[in-house]
Amino acid sequence: MSNMEKELKQLIIDCLDLEDLTIEDINSQEALFNEGLGLDSIDALELGLAIRKKYNVRIDADKDDVVNIFASVATLTQFIESEQMGKA
Amino acid sequence: MQQDFILNQWSVWPPLDDSGLTEAELLAFMPKMLKRRLSPLAKTVFCAAAPCLKKGEEIPTVFSSTHGELAKSFAMMEMIEAGEDISPTAFSLSVHNAIAGLFSIAYKNKVQSTVVAPGEEGVAAAFIEAIGLLAEGEKEVLIVLYDEPLVDFYPAEPFKLSANQRCAVALKISKTGEGIPLRFSCQSETGNDGEQPLQVPLLIKFLSTAQACLKILTPRHSWQWEKQ
Repeated sequence: MSNMEKELKQLIIDCLDLEDLTIEDINSQEALFNEGLGLDSIDALELGLAIRKKYNVRIDADKDDVVNIFASVATLTQFIESEQMGKA
Repeated sequence: MQQDFILNQWSVWPPLDDSGLTEAELLAFMPKMLKRRLSPLAKTVFCAAAPCLKKGEEIPTVFSSTHGELAKSFAMMEMIEAGEDISPTAFSLSVHNAIAGLFSIAYKNKVQSTVVAPGEEGVAAAFIEAIGLLAEGEKEVLIVLYDEPLVDFYPAEPFKLSANQRCAVALKISKTGEGIPLRFSCQSETGNDGEQPLQVPLLIKFLSTAQACLKILTPRHSWQWEKQ
């Protein structure tokens, strides 16, 4: 897994009170919400805030395809990297 | 005003002795993803209520707390003051019905739930609400009274509105059935026994001993519970 994926997994564990998980327990391709990891809508808001704080990347519910961006660690990583590229 | 009801079951957390289940055992039924949302106060509520509930049972609930999760709200206000973003999770769990919400999710309890924030009258408000539900035809009602010490920032004295221990007591009441028959009434004598956090220990003493009558004095009335 890429460094960004590792970092993102640790962020998910820290900001969503998932201390009993390790980054190895989260599969980059696995669904984050409902199925898979089993996160819920409050987690989505919390994670969105944590990503904004850490990467200065804003996920806009009106403009962005939130469902697909939050689908997995892999899709989130892709979105953050492409946003950071756009800013560079 | 005078109302009779049966106290079917009651329990308190922290427990009065070591004979019962531990916190980990009482909360073992909850999925991890839900358990991570429980604050220390929510855990106290769940541990008090668990012994009063049968598996899969649906029961109307009346929760009562003077301060609720005020510590969470206060921490958020400090963050706002510091110009920081507040946590959506912390916000959702800070509202007065947050613990009742978690409770209904954990027990899949889809029937009526009320959350009272009583003032000077204290625990009586929850009993009035629960007795009202019985009068409307509910067979049983679960009352859960809970509070934790007030955040230091707020002046608890001389207002008699905070105790120094986090505590919850759960009572399952009904019109008929097995248990302790109680008569609840309002009397004219006045005084000041303090708000709910200070009344709950008086109620626990009444429930756990042979004491025949509990009278709680408030600035406007007194409330009386008599074992029949």
